[in-house]
Amino acid sequence: MLEGYTGKIIQKHSDGRREGEYHAVHVDFVLLPDPTFALLLSELKDSGSRIWDKEKVFVTVDHFAPPSTIERANIAKTVISFAKVEALPHQSVYQGICHQLLIEGPWLRPGMLVLGADSHTTTAGALGCLATGMGSTDILYTLMTGKTWLRPPKAVRVDLTGKLPPYIMGKDIILDLLGRFGEGGFRYQALEFYDTDGTILMDDRFAICNMVVEGGAKNGLFSPDQVTENYLKERDGHSGDWENFSREDFHYAQKLTIDLSSLKPKVALPHSPGHVVDIEEIKGEGIEQVFIGSCTGGRLRDLELTARILKKRKIASGIRLLITPASQKIYQEAIEKGYLQTILEAGGVVLNPSCGLCGGIDKGILGAEERCLSTSNRNFQGRMGDPSSRIYLASPLTAAASALAGRIIDPREVM
Amino acid sequence: MGLPKRITGRVWKLGNHINTDILHPSPYFSLNEARVKEGLVEGMERLGANAKRDSSDEGLIIVAGENFGCGSSRETSVRGLRSFGVRGVLAASFARIFFRSLINLGLPALECGGIQERVKDGDLVLLSIEEGWVELMDKRRFPFSPVDTHIKKILEAGGLIPYLQRGERRERDEI
Repeated sequence: MLEGYTGKIIQKHSDGRREGEYHAVHVDFVLLPDPTFALLLSELKDSGSRIWDKEKVFVTVDHFAPPSTIERANIAKTVISFAKVEALPHQSVYQGICHQLLIEGPWLRPGMLVLGADSHTTTAGALGCLATGMGSTDILYTLMTGKTWLRPPKAVRVDLTGKLPPYIMGKDIILDLLGRFGEGGFRYQALEFYDTDGTILMDDRFAICNMVVEGGAKNGLFSPDQVTENYLKERDGHSGDWENFSREDFHYAQKLTIDLSSLKPKVALPHSPGHVVDIEEIKGEGIEQVFIGSCTGGRLRDLELTARILKKRKIASGIRLLITPASQKIYQEAIEKGYLQTILEAGGVVLNPSCGLCGGIDKGILGAEERCLSTSNRNFQGRMGDPSSRIYLASPLTAAASALAGRIIDPREVM
Repeated sequence: MGLPKRITGRVWKLGNHINTDILHPSPYFSLNEARVKEGLVEGMERLGANAKRDSSDEGLIIVAGENFGCGSSRETSVRGLRSFGVRGVLAASFARIFFRSLINLGLPALECGGIQERVKDGDLVLLSIEEGWVELMDKRRFPFSPVDTHIKKILEAGGLIPYLQRGERRERDEI
């Protein structure tokens, strides 16, 4: 049985073929970040195939942006050369993290089926798309055919109700779910969020959908509503036309309700995004580095709230505060609005948008036994550096407050 | 290519929630196969894993716990396993991207609970995909979950791209 809005999207995109539990579906758009795209390029060339529709792919250089080793420079070069030779209309070099650029661009609308060669492609589900990540070979298949095979997931409806406290962000909401159901608790499922009162802003919705994959979900989406429509209007100058089947009465395998008013700031402890506690249980824990950025926690609202906490204050001595806006657009807006000035005055260091820090690729690498409080999505062992380093995950509010204190604290202490 | 009827290999045992960042640390992302393989060796060290083989001809069969392969989609982790000689993967459950990538590269990924406690590193085991069981050292056989028809076709073709090309050839033959 096809469940939820996700099932409806699969049904609408079916090409009629079925094998076992898998349905062949048409794909609307594909995201191609540098390393995982580079991994399939030689096979694409060898097969003699061409990309099925150049208008429907978006190539980014964001992981190696700019490259820090000769090998990475050559990988990025392969991608840049290919995009140039093929004259791909949608490409970006160093303009931001692929998941942010994908939603800033004019391509995605509710009801679309979107793939990306990166697990955090789920982020785009906040726009009401079925968006999911896949490995390079799956993506190669789609580039050659315009299709993929999907096993329709069981769908879980999550109702977000109650008044959202000012100290709670999207990050706390998704950490709450991950803490309750565990890493892998939503394996192969679709998480569909209903924000009945329209209280969750888009930037928080992106953070929530970004991290559904940490619970093992195939995708996460927000049922399209007024907040979605306003975002699209502001992005494109008009709301556009999108098929709104979000008001249909879908079947769900499971229904959950989160009372937002009862939530406390959350922290995921090393080394699992599912190892989540309320801030009271961990506050006081020492840290050496705070990272505010990434495709989870580097959006304008994240920088706005960071600046609000840091205004006219200084970060604790011995603390390294590193910031990466999720895109150049956000970077510029944060300059115009004065957020970055405030962050710099407080002692923060601002790096260019890239996946570098979060993925342990370059800059901000952690040394032995160092501890970092991060607004990113994964605190796996060794992800950001030395295998003995430790990563804690929290919201930008908690991260900014903790940078002031030099240890993990409850943001309410400084708000 | 195609799928052998029986697969043998030495067990390489892993725990629950093994993510691709630890299995294949990101600094080892590369287009160079030797470098990718080095990443897997580093990952094994970090995991304290102890994959034993009597000779380099012997294959390895991973026996993992729940949610195997969670995290990043970087296919280098699966490519590393393949070049290291892994011939099949049994896990109590798989993370979805990793599962797809194993199948897409022609490596059988089989859901099988209950054997994790019954094997140790270096045990010689035998797999029959066709008949759906794994035979342990004591000759006891344990069934794994039935393999989906679509997945079976991909494995029989030797991976997702050969499966696509086989389908295209068939279409041409029909015309």
